[in-house]
Amino acid sequence: MPRMLPLVPSLPDSASGYGLLARYDGPGVLLHACEQVRDAGYRRWDAHTPYPVHGLDRAMGLSSSVLPWIVLVCGLGGAAAAFGLQTWVHERAYPLVISGKPFFAWPAFVPVTFEVGVLFGALAAVFGMLGLNRLPMHHHPLFRSDAFGRASDDGFFISIESWDPKFDLGRTAALLERSGAASVERIES
Amino acid sequence: MSPKPHEMGHDPAAVDPALVSIPHDHPWARLPYVFAACGAVGVLASLGLVWGSVVEPAQFFFSWLTSFLYFLSLALGGMFFVLVSYVTRASWSVVVRRLAESAMATIPLFLVLFVPLVFGMHALFHWTDADAVAHDHLLQAKQPYLNTTFFVVRALVYFACWIGIATWFLRQSRLQDHGDASGRITDRMVKVSAPALVAFSVTVSFAAIDWIMTLDAHWYSTIFGVYFFAGSTVGIFALLILLAAAMGRAGLLGGTVTVEHFHDLGKMLFAFTVFWAYIGFSQYFLIWYGNIPEETVWYVHRTEGSWAAVTATLAWGHFAVPFLFLMPRTVKRRTGLLAVGAVWMLLMHLVDLYWLIMPVLHSHDAHLSVVDVTSLVGIGGLFLGAVLFVLRRQPVVPVRDPRLAESLSFENV
Amino acid sequence: MSTIQEHARPAFALEPPLILGGHDFHSITEAVARPLETKPGRGWYACLGISVLLLSLLGIQTAWLFWEGIGIWGLNNPVGWGWAIVNFVFWVGIGHAGTLISAILFLFRQKWRTSINRSAEAMTLFAVACALVFPGIHVGRVWVAYWMFPVPNQMSMWPNFRSPLLWDVFAVSIYGTVSLLFWYVGLIPDLATIRDRCGATLRGKIYGALALGWRSSHRHWQHYERAYLLLAALATPLVLSVHSIVSMDFAVSQLPGWHTTIFPPYFVAGAIFSGFAMVLTLMVICRTVFGLENIITIRHFDNMAKIILLTGTMVGYAYGMEFFIAWYSGNPYEQFAFVNRAFGPYAWAYWTMITCNVISPQIFWIKKARTSVLVLFVLSIFVNVGMWFERFVIVASSLHRDFLPSSWDYYTPTMWDVAAFAGSFGLFFTLFCLFVRFLPIVAAAEVKGVLPQADPHYDETPRLERSGEPVGGGTH
Repeated sequence: MPRMLPLVPSLPDSASGYGLLARYDGPGVLLHACEQVRDAGYRRWDAHTPYPVHGLDRAMGLSSSVLPWIVLVCGLGGAAAAFGLQTWVHERAYPLVISGKPFFAWPAFVPVTFEVGVLFGALAAVFGMLGLNRLPMHHHPLFRSDAFGRASDDGFFISIESWDPKFDLGRTAALLERSGAASVERIES
Repeated sequence: MSPKPHEMGHDPAAVDPALVSIPHDHPWARLPYVFAACGAVGVLASLGLVWGSVVEPAQFFFSWLTSFLYFLSLALGGMFFVLVSYVTRASWSVVVRRLAESAMATIPLFLVLFVPLVFGMHALFHWTDADAVAHDHLLQAKQPYLNTTFFVVRALVYFACWIGIATWFLRQSRLQDHGDASGRITDRMVKVSAPALVAFSVTVSFAAIDWIMTLDAHWYSTIFGVYFFAGSTVGIFALLILLAAAMGRAGLLGGTVTVEHFHDLGKMLFAFTVFWAYIGFSQYFLIWYGNIPEETVWYVHRTEGSWAAVTATLAWGHFAVPFLFLMPRTVKRRTGLLAVGAVWMLLMHLVDLYWLIMPVLHSHDAHLSVVDVTSLVGIGGLFLGAVLFVLRRQPVVPVRDPRLAESLSFENV
Repeated sequence: MSTIQEHARPAFALEPPLILGGHDFHSITEAVARPLETKPGRGWYACLGISVLLLSLLGIQTAWLFWEGIGIWGLNNPVGWGWAIVNFVFWVGIGHAGTLISAILFLFRQKWRTSINRSAEAMTLFAVACALVFPGIHVGRVWVAYWMFPVPNQMSMWPNFRSPLLWDVFAVSIYGTVSLLFWYVGLIPDLATIRDRCGATLRGKIYGALALGWRSSHRHWQHYERAYLLLAALATPLVLSVHSIVSMDFAVSQLPGWHTTIFPPYFVAGAIFSGFAMVLTLMVICRTVFGLENIITIRHFDNMAKIILLTGTMVGYAYGMEFFIAWYSGNPYEQFAFVNRAFGPYAWAYWTMITCNVISPQIFWIKKARTSVLVLFVLSIFVNVGMWFERFVIVASSLHRDFLPSSWDYYTPTMWDVAAFAGSFGLFFTLFCLFVRFLPIVAAAEVKGVLPQADPHYDETPRLERSGEPVGGGTH
């Protein structure tokens, strides 16, 4: 798994600018191109599609997301905290005999425990995902490209950053063109 | 929900049935007889034990009822799986549907196995005791429903309905194997599956009420039918996983059932385990909270003496542990691990039924009897023998199902 | 000897398209973005106007309520709960369909959900907002409503965690929060789409800020899809638990007609029933007004009608089981509760409920009914009327005549009860009108993902086997 992209793309200025952006006509040709880029050993690159393309994880050589574990831990933690709070409130802080039941009325603690567990899990899922994706990141060199506007519409792209050890303006561009790109563009920093 | 099969642009050129049938010389072809023999031994042993006065008649009938309902719940679970597969036009389940159909096909056997229970009505249900009724105004009030004639009539209605549905769906499915590739048969089955499900839900609910809830005729719960249903869904998915795993290992499925299908079966087992816990907890919680003695007495019986340990086993073993075990993706995608989970759930489902039924007989302490084991072996052997016998008679995968092609290529997210 | 896997075929090669009219990726973007980029017609202004009027009615009612107190409502002894709780359960129930469409249909891999899930989720949020109004305003001393939350204070006071009313506070507010998160996460890619069409305008900046800098990166999509799946997996038990907890407001009591174990799943089924009906009502209007008939198709409506039929039948099952067990129990109070419902002073409400909930949805057994927009629209209104009456029957008929005949009375709503209810529709439709004006009402990215050409292997599949060109005949 390549190292995470930095919070802001402020790596030292590269003479080659930010990198290269190649546009493809459809998901099929993009998938094959990704396999070629992956096999060529590039690490600092990405694909851009208007919807998640099935099979692209493997084609890019990505390892699976760690998000489920974050959600599990936070969810169980939240549930435990809620159960603990209720137990403490009803056994220690302000014990009251309510409808003749014992102070530690665990069945009655289940609803809130469950709900709070789900809440913490959901918060973990959303903020974990945003954190793993380093979002929000409103500025990025790729937005300078006019063609890139199609990435959220109907365009399929591969971008390779110039900081990749294997990056060479000429050879990388040639690889992208060989892989079936409709157009290859250089992006400034 | 997918469109009609005859609208699809693919001619389901049949998979070669030879690839997905049990060959006549295969060890599995002999298995039905092995199981049936075990079953016969178990049944005879059980009968022998009660005739020889080694066990009380009441114990015999309660043990028989438990084993009967356990395996019947698997057969009914199979029916549910088949009906829901059709009504939702699911494609992933096509490769395992025959296994569920085979479980469903055993229901006529249960009509026969029900006969001892008719003889045992007086031992099982105290509302059949005229003396008890005469002194109990509640039982008198329930007499229009709780009388032996109506009870038997209702049982016959349930079986007629189930056998009708099972036979029809089995016949249509077999017909499909032999030639009609247009998908019209599937269309018909989809149309019938919806009203069949309505009939299923009503008959299964009332069967559970009649055969389990009225054991303790002063108690009642509106969710009881749903609870029994929930247990049977857990049972069928566990059974399907085990059958598919065993047959896959024996090379009988021709590679049709892949890790993707096991993943989905595992998801369903997980989901219905949680569903069972939700229904079970709803029932317990509302009765606990309302604290009305008329209702709580049922749970009090199940927390006396060693029954408390059984209740705890259910809570932890039927829910908490499998919830954590079946959650990870890796477990669901490793057939060996998943099969372990399936065996565990089948065991827990048995504990569940035992916990529902036996406290009526042994009110202060759980008390295992030898006839519990023999009736389990007896009815179970006959059930498994019947399932495998049905499986032997046709391809184990519906070779001409219009959705088979899609099912074969199925990939999980 | 052929192998099995030769017979495998991918789904897109076997199904006729979900989205009609020969849409491709770009035309989906256009169709979904158009309502946001064109000036709204007079119809929208009319809707908004009426909604805002009703919303102000809610505001007036609430102000008067805070000033005068709960006495302005028609509550009495023994009917201490009236329209407010009925409206609360009504709105929460409606909200559940949105989560079902988003989360549960996603887990069941039902691709047809992609045309309606955005609007359904929005509907959930607005319905939950309407629902939360009622517990919010009914407490009497609204200025100490924060006591409901477990905040340490100088009185050593804590909320009663063992009360179902407090579980409601947690359940519904957490449901609202999670639904909001789920909806927003789903919106991010579409907000990016709108942003990219806006250019350097103020609109572009606002959408851009909300889109969080989404750049359609597949590394992001990977985590995004995982998050979406996890949220769906969390939202599913959440939606089941929320309405179960709402049902426990009633079921944990000892009141005949309330205290019955089937309430949790019965309420959940009823919630989905009414929620789908409301989604249907809204979608029938939206697809025509915004020209989205090829994206929200008759097939989508057919499926929704089937779910309405299914959940309506479940509700009918619960009615039947309650009735049977009430008789079976031999408990005279239980039996009276049901006889009173059908033949007592509230019989008019009971039979309205039965007609709307049990009898009228049976028309959906007929395919023609499921695919007729008029029948769908009318039925969806009937169902919602029926479900409101169901909650009313449960609350009023059980409370007004319980154990002690000398305490029996009758509940009549006052004009302020009615104003609050009507006003809540104002809140709902105001929010919905704003939603359709400013946000994409179809999940464009998800719809693109279910087009047949979205599959990377589409180009490699022989043309004859692709969708839309059935081999061997057949009609849609």
